[in-house]
Amino acid sequence: MIPILSFSEFIELILKVLIFPGLAFPLLFAMIVIWFERKFLARIMLRIGPLHVGPLNRTGLFQPIADFLKLIQKEIIVPDNAYKFLYNIAPIMASIVASMSVAFIPYAPKPDGGYWMIYYTPLSLLVILAIFTARPFIMVGAGWASNSKYCTIGALRAALQLLAYEVPITLSLASIVIMSGTFDLAKIVETQSSIWFIILQPIGFIVILIAMMAELSRRPFDIPLAEQEVVFGWPTEYTGTQFALVMVSEYFDLCAVTSLITVLFLGGWSGPVIPLLNDISPILSGVFWFFLKMAILTVIIIMGRGIYPRLRIDQLLDTGWTLLIPLAIIQIIITLLTAQWWLPLVRGA
Amino acid sequence: MSVMKLSMGPQHPITGHFRFILDVDGDLVLKLEPDIGYTHRGIEKLAEKRTYLQNLPVIERVNSYCDSAGTMLGYLEAIEELMGLEVPERAKYLRVIAAELNRIASHLYAACLFSVATGLETMLMWPINDRELVLDLLEKLTGQRITYTYQTIGGVRFDMPEGFKEEALKRLDYLEKRTEDYYKMLLWNHTFHMRTKKVGILKPSDAIKLGVVGPNLRASGVKVDVRKDEPYEVYDKFDFSIPTGKNGDSYDRLEVRFKEVEQSINILRQALKDIPKGPIKKWAPPIVPKGEAYTRVEAARGEFGYYIVADGTMKPYRLKMSPPSFRNLIALPHLCKNVPLGDIPVIYISLDLIPMDVDR
Repeated sequence: MIPILSFSEFIELILKVLIFPGLAFPLLFAMIVIWFERKFLARIMLRIGPLHVGPLNRTGLFQPIADFLKLIQKEIIVPDNAYKFLYNIAPIMASIVASMSVAFIPYAPKPDGGYWMIYYTPLSLLVILAIFTARPFIMVGAGWASNSKYCTIGALRAALQLLAYEVPITLSLASIVIMSGTFDLAKIVETQSSIWFIILQPIGFIVILIAMMAELSRRPFDIPLAEQEVVFGWPTEYTGTQFALVMVSEYFDLCAVTSLITVLFLGGWSGPVIPLLNDISPILSGVFWFFLKMAILTVIIIMGRGIYPRLRIDQLLDTGWTLLIPLAIIQIIITLLTAQWWLPLVRGA
Repeated sequence: MSVMKLSMGPQHPITGHFRFILDVDGDLVLKLEPDIGYTHRGIEKLAEKRTYLQNLPVIERVNSYCDSAGTMLGYLEAIEELMGLEVPERAKYLRVIAAELNRIASHLYAACLFSVATGLETMLMWPINDRELVLDLLEKLTGQRITYTYQTIGGVRFDMPEGFKEEALKRLDYLEKRTEDYYKMLLWNHTFHMRTKKVGILKPSDAIKLGVVGPNLRASGVKVDVRKDEPYEVYDKFDFSIPTGKNGDSYDRLEVRFKEVEQSINILRQALKDIPKGPIKKWAPPIVPKGEAYTRVEAARGEFGYYIVADGTMKPYRLKMSPPSFRNLIALPHLCKNVPLGDIPVIYISLDLIPMDVDR
C-alpha cells in the first residue's frame, strides 16, 4: 500500500530529495571542495591557484563550473576495442552509487521526533557498507571494459587496494556497533549525546580515517590513479562528460565518507544550539554542526595530497594488514574489556 | 597473468621524451628497454658545418634547460687547449660562478622531478620557485635565464654587473636556509623513505663497471669528481668536499644532490670573495690549429667529455660528445629488473636523465 502524503510531507520530501541531502547537496559539496582543494593545495605549494572565473575578484570561485562546462562540450570518445556497454555505464553507475549513500545518513533531528534523512531504516549502517563495497567493482569493470593496458593495471590495483581497506573499515565499524548496540545511524548519534565516540575509540577513528582515505583513493593511497605510473589508472580512456562524471563521483564519495565518519565518531549534529539558526529552523543548527565537522574531516583528507608521497601497492597492503587490522582488533578488544566503564556513559543508566 | 608488453612514453606523465618498453607481469616489471632518439638533433654533425664560435649556442642546447653553462665549459676547454690560449683569471672565476649557479638550478630541478615521481606535488613547486631565484641571478649575470652563451672562446662575454655580488650572497644565504625545508619535506619524511630507500640499489662495483658518472656514481660511494681529480678553470683554488652516499639507492642519489647544492653554495661564496680584477676576455683567432684534444668537465649530471679533431680551419673536423645522461642511462635497464611498476618512475628520475642530453 502506498502511503498518501500530506502537502507538507510532500514538500519536505521534495526538499530532501532535490535539495538537501539529495541531488543538489553532493553537487554543491563537490563544487566547493574541488575549488577549496585547488586553492588550499595551491597555498601549500606556494602557488596562487585558480583566479579569474567567478563573482568574487581573484578567487576563481566558479572554476569547477567552468571546468565542468568545458568537459561536457567535449566529444565522448569510446575506444574501438572497448566493451561498450560496461564502458558507457560505468561512470553513470559510479556517480549514482557514490551519491546513493547520502540518502541513508541522518543530518539533523526534526523537532517532531524524526530525522532529516531521505530514507529511514534501522539498518542504515549496513546499507551504507553495502554501497561502499560496490565502488571498487565499478572501477574494475570500467578498467577492464576500456581494454587498455594502463586502465587494466589501474583496475587491478583498485581491486588489490580493496583488500587493504575493506577489512579495517568493517572491523572498526564493528566496535562502533558493539558500543552503540545498533546499526541505526540515527541511534548511533543519539548514543553519543554525552560523549563522542572519537574520545572513546581514538584508535578506531584513526583506522577508519586512514582506511577511508584508501577507499577514496586520496593522496598517500591514490595508487589506482597514480599519474606517474599508470597515466591515470582505470579512468584513463574516459573523455568529456564521462570523465566529468568519474571525477565528480569521487567527490560524492568524499561527501558520503565524511558524513559517515561525522555520524559515527564526531557525534553527528550534536553541538550547542545556535540561537540565530535555531530561530529560522531547528534543523539548521544541527546541520551547521554537521557541516563544520564534515569540513574539518575534508580538510584533513585533502591535506594528504600536499604533504605525502604516494605509497606503493605492496606498502599499502602491508600497512593495511600488519597495522590497520591489528589496530582495529585491538580497538574491539579494548571496547569489550572496558564495557563496565563506558556502558553508563553511552547507554545511559 | 601472462607477460604484458607495456609501452611507457613518449606521451606519458613522467618519462619525458623517452619511451620505455616494459615487460610487465601483474605489477612486476621484468625488463626495461629504453627507446631513445625522440629528441635527436644531430648536434655532433651540425657542429662540423659551423665555425667554432657559431657552435657555442648549438653546444649549449645539448643540455639547454638545466645545465648549459656547465656543459659548455668542456668545449671551450678543448678549444683553448688546442690554441694554447691562457684565459684571464677573472674570466675563469666568472665561468665558474655561472657553472656553479647552473649546477644549483639543475639539482633543484632534479629534486622537484624526483618528488613528482613519488607523487609529492608540493616539492615540485618549492624547489622550482627557488630555482627561479638562481635563474634571476644568472639573468643578471648573463642576460638570459636558461641558454646563456655567456662563456666564449677566450673568456666570458660580460663582466659582473653592479651589485651582483651582494645580491648573490643574499640569495645564497636564503637558499641555504631553504634547504632545511627540503630536508623536512623530503629527506626526513617517513613516507618518502618508504618509497625511495632500498629502491634501485646500484652497487659501487656495478656502477664502475657500467660507467655511471656524476652524482649517481658518488651516491654509490665512489669518490670521483673531475673538479677535484683534474681541476680545470680555477677549481683547485676552492675548498670544498665531495659528498658521497652509502647505499647507492634512489634516496642517496637525491641526498647527494642536495649536499652538492650546499657545496656549490660554498664554492660560490669563495669565488665571489676571491674574484680578482682584470680583463674578462682575451682575443682568440677564429682558426684553431691542427690537432686533437679531449677534455672532461664535471657538469651537473656528471662527467661531460669532449673530443675535438681540428684540421686547421675555422670549423671542427669532428666533435664527439660523451654526455653524462647517456652514460647514466646504461644503468637504468640494469636497475629495473624485477622491480614493482611503482618503482620505475622513482628509479628513472633518481638517475636524473634528460632526453636531450642522451640523444644530442
